[in-house]
Amino acid sequence: METAEATSVHTGASSDDLYPIALLMDELRHDDVASRVQAMKRLDTIAIALGPERTRKELITFLEDVIPEDEDEVVAITAEELSKFVPYVGGPEFAPLLLPVLERIASCEEPIVREKAVDALNEISTSMSEAQIESDFIPLIQRLAKERWFSLHVAATGLFKSIIIRVLPELRKELLDLYYELIQDDSPMVRKAAATHLPEITDILTENFGYPGKSDDFHWDLVTSMFQFLVGDSQDSVKFLSVDVLISILKFERQIQDKSHLEELFRSLVLLIEDPSWRVRYMVADRFEQLAANFDDDKYTLNLVPRILDLMKDGEAEVKKAISKQLPGFAVLADKADSSVVLEQIVPCVAILSNDESEVVRSALASEITGLAPILGKESTIKHLLPVLVSMLKDEFSEVRLNIISNLQVVNEVIGIQLLSESLLPAITGLANDKLWRVRLAIIQQIPLLAEQLGVAFFDQALGQLCMEWLWDSVYSIREAAVANLQKLTKIFGEEWARSELIRRILEKEGEDFDNFTCRITCLFAVKSLVPVVNNSIIANDILPFIEKLERDAVPNIRFNVAKALLVVSKSLLVPGSDSGAYVDIVRSKIVPSLEELKNDEDVDVRYFAEQSLTSVKADLEGLS
Amino acid sequence: MDIDTDVQMEDAVTAHDDSLVDDDHNSSSSESFDFSMNQKYSRANEAPGSNIDTLDAWIAQLSECKPLSEESVKKLCNMAIDVLKYEENVQPVNVPVTICGDIHGQFHDLMELFKIGGPCPDTNYLFMGDYVDRGYYSVETVSYLVAMKVRYPKRITILRGNHESRQITQVYGFYDECFRKYGSASVWKLFTDLFDYFPITALVENKIFCLHGGLSPMIETIDQVRELNRIQEVPHEGPMCDLLWSDPDDRGGWGISPRGAGFTFGQDISEQFNHTNDLSLVARAHQLVMEGYSWSHQDLVVTIFSAPNYCYRCGNQAAIMEVDESHERNFLQYDPSVRPGEPTVTRKTPDYFL
Repeated sequence: METAEATSVHTGASSDDLYPIALLMDELRHDDVASRVQAMKRLDTIAIALGPERTRKELITFLEDVIPEDEDEVVAITAEELSKFVPYVGGPEFAPLLLPVLERIASCEEPIVREKAVDALNEISTSMSEAQIESDFIPLIQRLAKERWFSLHVAATGLFKSIIIRVLPELRKELLDLYYELIQDDSPMVRKAAATHLPEITDILTENFGYPGKSDDFHWDLVTSMFQFLVGDSQDSVKFLSVDVLISILKFERQIQDKSHLEELFRSLVLLIEDPSWRVRYMVADRFEQLAANFDDDKYTLNLVPRILDLMKDGEAEVKKAISKQLPGFAVLADKADSSVVLEQIVPCVAILSNDESEVVRSALASEITGLAPILGKESTIKHLLPVLVSMLKDEFSEVRLNIISNLQVVNEVIGIQLLSESLLPAITGLANDKLWRVRLAIIQQIPLLAEQLGVAFFDQALGQLCMEWLWDSVYSIREAAVANLQKLTKIFGEEWARSELIRRILEKEGEDFDNFTCRITCLFAVKSLVPVVNNSIIANDILPFIEKLERDAVPNIRFNVAKALLVVSKSLLVPGSDSGAYVDIVRSKIVPSLEELKNDEDVDVRYFAEQSLTSVKADLEGLS
Repeated sequence: MDIDTDVQMEDAVTAHDDSLVDDDHNSSSSESFDFSMNQKYSRANEAPGSNIDTLDAWIAQLSECKPLSEESVKKLCNMAIDVLKYEENVQPVNVPVTICGDIHGQFHDLMELFKIGGPCPDTNYLFMGDYVDRGYYSVETVSYLVAMKVRYPKRITILRGNHESRQITQVYGFYDECFRKYGSASVWKLFTDLFDYFPITALVENKIFCLHGGLSPMIETIDQVRELNRIQEVPHEGPMCDLLWSDPDDRGGWGISPRGAGFTFGQDISEQFNHTNDLSLVARAHQLVMEGYSWSHQDLVVTIFSAPNYCYRCGNQAAIMEVDESHERNFLQYDPSVRPGEPTVTRKTPDYFL
């Protein structure tokens, strides 16, 4: 049949058009897997060329024959392609035709292939009518769920979500009963799959509950007993999935504003928190804020406080890491329930956690702990949180230090930079020479903020020297950040300050380390970055002469950066102003000749960048006249 | 100073003639000067005007770790052959320069390298081979470095490593990666054909001899390297093979390499070689060293390795060596790059939650 079909395509009426199709069909049978994959990716092209009728009669039949025996790689692509196939077989009316081949793919043991088939089936179900679902899709689910092989059951669990709300109430009950069986399946793999999909199904039931014209049944008993089965499951890899189910059930309770079941649900949660398996406790810790938010009741929020403290003292680092991430979120809820609880109960525990022996835990805490400041308010932050922050800034593990520094902004907003800098300045200057360059970078990025708040006098005394030292760092990114920092500082403190504090010190370098290439090029970058933020007099009298001295530098890299810098200088000098005439002359008499000379440099890159700059300068000059 | 010892005179003239067409503005004023320059400093390995924009666009695309189209790779490789075929077996390099070791497809760590050492062309670089295999981004890595080479031939030197070969790349990942990313082996073929043109050694100011592997019992003087015919697949034995495969060893003399290619060489060999050729140092890559660099043979040989956390699991630091104008050496060590979107908790994520 296969050959016949290929030939029929080949000898078709417009054989020129169809010839590539014949090739593709051949490729679908190619010996080489990669070729088959490529061909399969163009399955839609074949279908369009064949038209709906022949796609249904020939292509789909062909796939049913060939595909299930093919390599997983090819089959997975086929499933993906088929998910878009409803239009190609002639519209929704023919959608059920696609089900048998996908059913066969869905029974594959390879999880990736199976998932692709399940996704495709769900996609196709959206274009099917209610009647088609009842007559074709539901029986498909039932067949898969009743087969005696676990991978078919797994496939079945993935298909409920797309149709559960589109069937009549009696049938829905029947389907949930079927799911109830799957959740107690003999195979843990099936229970795991069922547990994974249950939250989504629950959410769908919740969303549609009580809407006229949609479902008005939630099947509370069925859903909660499925949850109870999961909580009691013997496998922790199944059990930990019940946490998400609990969240979905709580969402439903919130929606209908029913609090009568909260007590029993809370008891289940406690069971999970106290579970001997750390994976289960991890899952609770990881979802802690969500759980608390969905109980949505101050009483239970306060009941959860001792539980979060337990998790913060857990024996397993992963659990403590997860709960650290939840702290600010939960603290907001706890604070709403009782404004004393964060300070009195949570903060002491945080202080202990900040000294945890695991660096992973400390690092996770460090990235979240500053979020407690807005909740505590100014006074308590200063008194209780700041000491913890200061001690964490001295942590031996650099990631902890980095996470604190990167999140200081929020503390600043609460207590003000003055207090923050007073208590943290020693720590910050201590980190200015941190071994990890990203820590140094994070510090530099905080400097303009500090500068603004500290004022010139205090800044010069406390940080001025430091800002210059970063220019000579061994790591390029630090030097780059230091250069950018100088520009920002000049915007804050003004150009006269820049002249006396920065430019003077940079120019002094000429006498010291100028035989070092890195020093020369960094000085060049530094003065170039200051050009746009200082006045023309400083540019013409201080900066330009300095740049010109580097024009004949022995290293080409310096010379082409001179060419680039001269353009920046020219741009600034040519900005129209009261005394612009003199500066235009400088561009004509100094910069243009310099660039002309560099344009004939022996080095190709110097010539290139000189030419670029010269063209631009000349265009600017012409624009003036 | 930067007087090139290039040999590519014949291309120089044509390339320059082309560029003169739209260059009327300055040709009269500097023609005579330009002409004499032209004899001395060839423009052959200068990318012609229109190509510069293309190259800059490719470099911008590649720096986001997005591979070029097959068509572009083909153009790039042709341009690269035109540059590399004129380079010497012992490519002369000026100071200051930053010397780097194996990269092995760890593209994000290569970007980290430039963050540490400074961007090219502001910083001059010398890479000692092994750009491909092992890491997940061999295509992007080698495309990027080759594009930089074509764009700034004077600013970056790329030597050949033992992995820049048809045979090795079929085993260690580059072939498969090309196949996966382009759906065919044609890009692999383009690159491996290009690798034949890569210079095999470099000489920094006549003092530091740089190469991927190490010394060869068949090479006593650097001039002997200059006489080799390098434009071929890396052979299984012989001097060219040894230069790309050998390792220094604590034992004296020549030894059989456990790698099955090249030799091991002792301190006596390094002493003799450096003395004969008036060298201060042999810089090489090829071996994983936990600190990123490692001295051997009483500072006559240094190993530099620039792939941090090699194969994403070795836990090693990487390093590069800056050599300044007074031949002072400065090592910069660095750790794997922090990748946005990837959590920093690489160490112990329990797999059952994934």
